[in-house]
Amino acid sequence: MSTSDGSVLGNTQIFGSAPRSRAFNVVMLAEGFTSTQQNDFNNACSAFVTAFTATPPYDRLKPAINIFRVNVTSTDSGADDPASAGGTGASVRTYFDSTFGTSGIRRLLTCNNTTALQVAAAQIPEFTVVIVVVNSTIYGGSGGSVGTYSLAGGATEIAIHEMGHTAYGLADEYPYWAGGNETGHDHHPAGEPTEPNVTTNTNRATLKWNWAVAATTAIPTMSNPDCTTVDNRPSPVPTGTVGLFEGAHYYHCGGYRPEFDCKMRNLGVPFCHVCRQVIWNRISPLATLPARNRTPINVVARFPEHLDVFAVASNGRTMSDWWDASSGWAGWFQVSGGIASPGGTGSPVTAIARYAGHLDLFTVGTDNRVYSAWWDQATGWSGWFTIGTLVCRSGSTVNVVSRYTDHLDIFTTASDGKVMSTWWDARSGWGSWFQISGGVAAAGATVTAIARYPFHLDVFTIGTDNRAYSCWWDERSGWSSWFAVGNQSCRPDSTVSVVARFADQLDLFTTAPDGKIMSTWWNARSGWGSWFQVSGGVASPGSPVTAIARYSNHLDLFVIGTDNRVYSTWWHDTTGWASWFNVSGGVGKPGGQVAAISRITEHIDLFTVGSDGLVYSTWWDASGGWAGWFQLGVT
Amino acid sequence: MPPDNVAPQQPAKAVRLIFEYEGETVRLISQQAVEMVIPDSDTAVSSQAAHFVDMRDAANKTLARVMVRGAFATSAEVFPERSGDPITRVDIAVPKGAFTTVVPVADNADHITLVKVAPGAEAVAGPEGLRRAPLVTTDMASFPLSGRGQPADGGVR
Repeated sequence: MSTSDGSVLGNTQIFGSAPRSRAFNVVMLAEGFTSTQQNDFNNACSAFVTAFTATPPYDRLKPAINIFRVNVTSTDSGADDPASAGGTGASVRTYFDSTFGTSGIRRLLTCNNTTALQVAAAQIPEFTVVIVVVNSTIYGGSGGSVGTYSLAGGATEIAIHEMGHTAYGLADEYPYWAGGNETGHDHHPAGEPTEPNVTTNTNRATLKWNWAVAATTAIPTMSNPDCTTVDNRPSPVPTGTVGLFEGAHYYHCGGYRPEFDCKMRNLGVPFCHVCRQVIWNRISPLATLPARNRTPINVVARFPEHLDVFAVASNGRTMSDWWDASSGWAGWFQVSGGIASPGGTGSPVTAIARYAGHLDLFTVGTDNRVYSAWWDQATGWSGWFTIGTLVCRSGSTVNVVSRYTDHLDIFTTASDGKVMSTWWDARSGWGSWFQISGGVAAAGATVTAIARYPFHLDVFTIGTDNRAYSCWWDERSGWSSWFAVGNQSCRPDSTVSVVARFADQLDLFTTAPDGKIMSTWWNARSGWGSWFQVSGGVASPGSPVTAIARYSNHLDLFVIGTDNRVYSTWWHDTTGWASWFNVSGGVGKPGGQVAAISRITEHIDLFTVGSDGLVYSTWWDASGGWAGWFQLGVT
Repeated sequence: MPPDNVAPQQPAKAVRLIFEYEGETVRLISQQAVEMVIPDSDTAVSSQAAHFVDMRDAANKTLARVMVRGAFATSAEVFPERSGDPITRVDIAVPKGAFTTVVPVADNADHITLVKVAPGAEAVAGPEGLRRAPLVTTDMASFPLSGRGQPADGGVR
C-alpha cells in the first residue's frame, strides 16, 4: 500500500501545445490501474479532456492549457473500501494508497497527496493542478491540494469543481454545511469573505462583482425569508442573471452568491459569470505571445470577417492566431512544430491566401533552408517541407506573390546574398531556385515583390552599394536587368515596401542610412519620380515602413519611430501627406515592425511587438477612430 | 500595448516546494528549481486570512509571497452521487496532508517561511462600511532555501 506497490511508467501530453512554462498544466495520475489496465486510464483521461475543455470558460482558454497523463501501475486494481464506512472491505495494494471511506464517509475518496505531488513534480515540474484518477466504479472523490475522482459516472465534475478551489481560490456557493438541516449555519458570520465569488455585502456600489450586475437587477436579487433553513424556491430572474442571491458559503442567510446557480454550488451546472471571469483572469494572460522583438508579423484576410496572424515566438516557434467576426480571437498555436531561423531580425512566417479556404506559409528554418506548409479547410495543417536545397542567409525573409490562384512566386536571399526565386504551379509543382538577373542584396536586405498583373512581377531590394534596385518579369520578355531606383542611399538592411494603388502605379517606401523615411513612385505614364522624405519622419534604426492602400487615391503608413512609439501617417490625393501621429499611445520594440491590413476599406488592423515583448493589436474604424492596444491572445 | 511598461507575465526563476503537514506541524519535503510563469493572482495577494509561503532574504525581509491553497482544511467536501442532491461537508479532526507552491527566487533569497494570517479579535467596521476582523500574522516555520527536508527551526509552531 505504497509506492512499492507499482511503478511510474512515464508521461504523455494528451492535450495542448502551449509552452509548459507559460501554461495552465493539468497532470492526471493513474491510481489502482494494473499494468494491463493502463488503456482504461488512457480512456478515462480522454473523457476528462473532452469534458474539461468543453466547460466554459476553459473551452475558450484551450490555447493556454496543457493536459498530461502519467501512467502509473499498481499491483492491484481499485482502491481500499473499508467496511466501517459501508464499503466492501476491500484492501488493495496501489501506488497512491487511495481509499474510500475517509472520515467514515464512503464517497470521500482520498489518496496519499505527498506521493501524488512528488510524482507530478518529477514528471511535469511546471504543473498547475494534479488530479488522481482512481480505477473504481464506486462513486467518490475529494479536493484539496490534489483532486481525486473515480470512474463512476459524473465524477469528473468533482475534479472540475475542486480545481475551482485549488487553482483560483473560489468559494463554495452552497448555502449549507450538511445539506440544510444542520444547526449553527443560519447566519453568515460578520466579515467579508476573501473569496471572489461570495460576499456579505449588500451595497451595490461596493459589491465586489458590481461590474457584472445590470442596473435593472435588484440588489439583493433573492432573499431567504426563513434563515432556519435553505431557500429552495426557484430563481426569480432568468438563468444567467448576475445579482445577489442569499444563501452561500455554508450559510442559509447573510452570505450571498452572484448567480442563482454555479458549478461551485452544484455539480453538473455551468460556472457562474463571476467564477468564469476569475478563471479567465488567471489563465488568459498565459495565452499572450512573447515574440521575437524585431521579427515581422504577417497577417492575411482570407475573407473580410476573418484574419490569420503569423508571428515567431521568442523561442523561434512559428505561431498563428486567428480572428473571426463570429467568435473573436482563437488563441496562439504553434504551426506544425516549426522553428524559424534566428539570425538578423529573425525569419518571419510569411503567408498568402490563394483562395478563401487555403493558406500557404513560408519561413527559413534553423538549418537556413526555405520551408513551406499549408492549411486547407478540408485537410487542416500540413507539415513543414523544404523547398529545394537553397541555403539562405540566417534570418532571411521569404516573400511570396500569387499572380493567380494556381501559382506562387517566392523570393529570398541566398547565404551569399544572391537574390533568389522559385515558383510553384498547380500543374507542374515546384520549380528550381534561380538567381534573378545576377542580383546580389546587401546584408540583411529583404526581397519584396508585387504582381500588378497576372503576367507581370516587379521586384525590389537594397543592393550591395546600399541603393534601392528593381527589376521586373514579364511573361512575354522574361526577367529584366536590375536598375537603381534613383540615387537614394538606404540602410543596407532596410526593406523596400511597395504598394500598387492601381495597376499602373507603384509607391515605394524605405529608410535612408540616417533613418529618414523615404518614398518614391512609378507611374506607367510618367515613369519614376524623385525620392522624398515623408512628412519629416525618421524611423527607429532597422524599422521597416509598412504601407497599405485602402483606395486608389489613399495610402496609410506605419512605422516604429526613434522614440520606439508606433507612428502613422496617410496620403490622400486631394490633401497630400499628413503629419505623423502616435497610434493610441503604442510603444513598440526598437527596430520593430508594424503589420497592417485593411480587410474592409474603412477599417485597419495593426499588429506589433510591444515594449514588453508581447504581440499587441489595435484597429481603426472610420466610425470610431483608433481603438486602444490589446494583447493578442484569446477573446 | 503598454504606453509605459507593465510587468509582463513571463517565466521566472522559481522553486517548487512540497510540504507535508499534520495539524500545525509542517515539514518541507522537497525543493525543485523550476522556470515558469507565476500568475499575478497567486502573488499579488491582498491582506487576507490564509496561509502564505514567503521567500525572504537573510535579514528576514519578504521578497515574494505566494498564497497556499488546498491545505490546512478542517473539513472536506462530500459529493452527491445523485444529481441534484447537495454537496455536504464533514469536519476533519486533525488536518493532515500535503500541498505545493511555486515561489519566485530572487538572487538574494535566503530562506522560506510559512506564514499564517488569521482573524484576531472581534470584527470592526472597515473603510467601505464592511465589518472586518483584524488579522494576525504568524510565522509558522522557516526552512533554508537550498536545504531539503530539514526545517531551520524545527518547523513547528
